[in-house]
Order: sequence, then C-alpha cells, then structure tokens
Amino acid sequence: MSCILELKHVSKFFGGLAANSDVSFEVQREMILGLIGPNGAGKTTLFNCMTGYYPPSKGEVNLKGVRINGLQPNAVCRLGMVRTWQKVRPLAKMSVLDNVMVGALARTNSLRVARQVAFEQLKIVRMEAKADLLAGGLPIGERKKLEVARVLATKPELLLLDEVMGGLNPTESEEIIQLILELKKLGLTQIVIEHDMKAIMRLSDRIVVLNSGEKLAEGSPQEVANNPDVVAAYLGEAADA
Amino acid sequence: MGDRSGALLPRARAPRGFSLASLVALVALVLVVALIPQVIKKPLILHMWIMVFLAVAQGAAWNLIGGYAGQYSVGHAAYFGMGAYTTMLLLEQHQIAPWFGLGLSVLNAVLLSTIIGSITFRLRGPYFVLASIAVAEILRLGALHFKDYTRGAEGILLSGIPPLETPWFAIRFVGKVPFYYASLLLAGGVVLANWIVQRTKLGYYFQAIREDQDAAHSLGINLTLHKNVALALSAAFTAATGALFALYVRFIDPNIVLGIDVSVQAVLICIIGGIGTIPGPVVGSIVLVLLSETLRNPKWLAQLGIVGYDSAPVAFIEAHFSNAHMLIYGILVVLVIEYAPDGILGLSRTAWNRWRRARRPEAPSQPSAA
Repeated sequence: MSCILELKHVSKFFGGLAANSDVSFEVQREMILGLIGPNGAGKTTLFNCMTGYYPPSKGEVNLKGVRINGLQPNAVCRLGMVRTWQKVRPLAKMSVLDNVMVGALARTNSLRVARQVAFEQLKIVRMEAKADLLAGGLPIGERKKLEVARVLATKPELLLLDEVMGGLNPTESEEIIQLILELKKLGLTQIVIEHDMKAIMRLSDRIVVLNSGEKLAEGSPQEVANNPDVVAAYLGEAADA
Repeated sequence: MGDRSGALLPRARAPRGFSLASLVALVALVLVVALIPQVIKKPLILHMWIMVFLAVAQGAAWNLIGGYAGQYSVGHAAYFGMGAYTTMLLLEQHQIAPWFGLGLSVLNAVLLSTIIGSITFRLRGPYFVLASIAVAEILRLGALHFKDYTRGAEGILLSGIPPLETPWFAIRFVGKVPFYYASLLLAGGVVLANWIVQRTKLGYYFQAIREDQDAAHSLGINLTLHKNVALALSAAFTAATGALFALYVRFIDPNIVLGIDVSVQAVLICIIGGIGTIPGPVVGSIVLVLLSETLRNPKWLAQLGIVGYDSAPVAFIEAHFSNAHMLIYGILVVLVIEYAPDGILGLSRTAWNRWRRARRPEAPSQPSAA
C-alpha cells in the first residue's frame, strides 16, 4: 500500500474560532478511513479544506505527492479526489442520467461517451431504471445514491463520502454499506464521515476521531472504540473518574 | 413497486437526437417565413416581423446566459448598446461599412463581457443581478457624458448605408425587405446556437451551474471560465442584434439602446415564453412584440384588415394606452410568474398533457385508478 493523501498540521480558523486545528493523518491506497466525531467536531470543514472550498489557514494537503492547498474544487476533482455533500445537491431540473453525465464530462468531451459512462455508474448504484426521471423528484435514499453515482462518474481515485447514510432507513443504509465495500474491491480509496457507529466499525480499516477541531485519536476500529478519550468525548466523563 | 412510484414522478425531457419529422417541419416553417415578403408588401406588417425577429435574437441571446447558465443579467443593454454604437460610429465617423462594423462590434462586446464578467461573477444571486444593472447604467451615463465621442443625448442619425457589393450579387439596403432577411438570418442563427449549446458539453455545464454552483464546482466544472463563456456568447449575439437594430431604425441615443428597458425586455421575452428552452424566446418575442407594437401603433391591425383605420378599438388604444406598454409588461410578468412560472410554453405543455389524459382516462397516468 502506498500513501495517496497526506494532511500535515491542517488548521482552519473562522475569525477567532478554530474549526480545525493541527490535524495530521495519512490515507493509504485502497483503504477505507472512517472520520468520526461529535456534531461540530470539524469533519465537514476538513472535507471543505481538502477539496478546495476553503484554503486551509495553516498546514498542507498533499494528494498523490502534489500539494493542493489553494487549488479550486474543479482542479482537485480532476486530480482524482471528489466529495459528496451531506445535504444532497441534485441538479433538480435535469434527469438522473444527465446528473451523472455532468460528472462523466470531467473526463471526456463526448456526450456519447459520457452517457455510456453515466449509465454504467447508475448500474453500480442500481438506479438504471430511473435514468429518465427528474433528479428533483427522487426520494432521499435515491438522491444519496445519485450523489455517489455522480462522483463515481468523474473517475476518482479518492472518494470523500459525507454522511451518505444520514436520513436513510436500515435497508437503504445496508445497501450503501454494500456499495462502499464493493467500491473498495474496485480499488477505490474512501474517506467516510458517518454517525452510525455500527456501520463505521464494520466499514473502516482505520478511524480518525475529531473533537472540537482537533484530532483526538487514530487507529484501528478496535483501538478507537477502547480509547478512554473517545468514550469520554461521546458519552461524557464517568462520574467517578 | 419501485417502478410504479417512479412512474408518478415528473418525467424529464431528455434531448436525444433530432427526429426527421421535426427537421422537415422546421425547414418548412423557415421557407414559409422566408417567402412572406414576396407575398405581403405592406411595410407596417414587414416592420412587425422585423421587430419580432430582432426580439427573438435578443431573447435567445439572453437565454444562453440567463436560461441555460442561470445567471440573471439585467444589464444586457450594455452589449446591445455596444453593438449599436460601435457600428453607427464606425459608419458615420469613419465610413467603415456596417458588415465590418458589425464584426467589430461583436468583438468589442466580447471584450466588454470579459471585463464585466470578471467583475460581476465574483458575486452570486441578487448581488450579481444588481451589479449587472449597475454596469449597464455606467455605460449609459458614460455615453451621455462623453459627447465628443458619442454625441451624447443628441444621438446618432444614420445618413445612409452603402450597398453591399460582391462579385456575385449586390444588396441595396433600401426599404424593409433586406432587413427582413437580415434579421431572420440573425434570429435563426441565435436559435441555432441555443440548439447546439443544449446538445453539447457546454450546455450540460451551463445547466449544472444553473442548478447548483457548488455541486458543479465539485464535479470538475470551472465556474468562472464557463460563466464567462456563456456571457461572451450571449454578449456577441446581443451586440449583433443591437447593431442590426441601429441600422434598421437609423437613429440611436443612449436611452434607446443602453437604457434599462432594453435589458428588461431581454429578460421578459424569456420569462414570458419559457426560460431555458429553445422555443421559449420565440414564443415570448411574438407575444411581447405584438402587444407592445399594438399599443404603440394600433394602425397595423388596420393594415392587416382586422379593423378599420378609424374603428373604435384603434381609437381607444391610441387614446389610453399609447405610452402604457411598460405598465402592460409589468402586469403580464406578474400574471406569468403567478400562473405560469414556466412561461407560455410551460402552460401550453401542461394543458396539452391534461387534454391527452382527458382523452384517455384509462391511461396509467391516473394514480388513483392504480
């Protein structure tokens, strides 16, 4: 395994508030990294810093050995790292297929090729039957799957999934879990933000825990689950400690 | 089960190919329209057509940036005026023939759009709209102020257009007919540009930007570049329309070609017809031009033979509505936004679907029957 993404002392300040401070970790190829932490821990801010929505205030983000601080999201996408949105962003007045084609067009100028690529991605998320529907009319579970199909169409090497299971029922969540494992087999590296602990323990090869913008712990799912600091951050300090 | 719930969702109209039937229909339509001046010689009626064609060109040009890319510029008078002024000044002061002037005016407008775009595209939503209005107003006030170059409020009167002579043919710009064909060609060209954009990567990227800028950005779309390309295309066609308008009307001043009325008209044509569609600006132009020209000069109805020159409707309009076209526009926009947010085109599509459903009540489109 080799390192695909490296964060070195990444900090992000909004005025005096440190949304992320001094976060460092590495992501190896073909692994699933779980990124967890209580609400407001700075998980989504970190995604925004990595994908170019904000430049980090301090520190470095290296993708495949290239420093990408200050690159725009479109450039980061073309380098092979792309994210989904916690609050889904379907292109509402375009069809499901057209949504995915927009992603595919990052790698081709031909609509014919893009249509073919898009259709393959819809098959991966099992939505090919919905190709002609308007994206704005889909229920939440399918919107989440559409997000995934759309980023897959950009042919990424590193996928950042921001709470793709949020708001889904157990059956739908299970489908997404299977999908993430399937994508891992296809050789994709993934960073997954998720609140569902059972799911994250099953999926992750490694977990990074954020709390109040700082990295609290890092390790295998077992190590993290047994870490007293992590337990305290989630459940509060024990009364007799 | 899943399939049935899907069938109840609104269906997208994916543009796939172009059927032979619609191609034949389009060619037939263009031929019929092109033959009109050979049959109808009445100048007021030809004038109506020319105004419709110019409006189609203006509306379809705005549709590229406003309809597809979703950037509601209310400052397109800047490009319209740039086209009109460049062509007229080159012709009147430097004796440069208007077909070269038109080319230069398009170039000028593209340059201007790049400057305006680099300023205003830093802003989103209502801020972009306000900035676009402000820039157009700066140009209008500038044209009023720098009299030495633009002749200010006095305006520019065209003394004459030299004939276009080529080894094969010569065109003399006398009467309405040459302008009829020139404006028809321009309108057709801009509608064709819309059609091409809708069927290429550019159109997909424009629409993605319209639907969600952040999502588009994360999917590899260079927002600044594509917004500027949309604006430059739109500005180029708007300038050509402005130039042709100036040559046809033969008089321009800053309020006529750079006023906010021009900017608003471009937007209204699309909103009333159906924004972000190809037939939308055409439908909107017909409605808006017929309405405004009727209010300004109802005598064309008499030339058409619908009413007499001295009949009651003509007298009534002349007495009460001769300057009210902006008021009527306003009322029309309120009605369209309230009752037909997708424009006349959207309204007719809904009506057509309802009619088809009424004819086949056993069709699966009735969810309660299932």
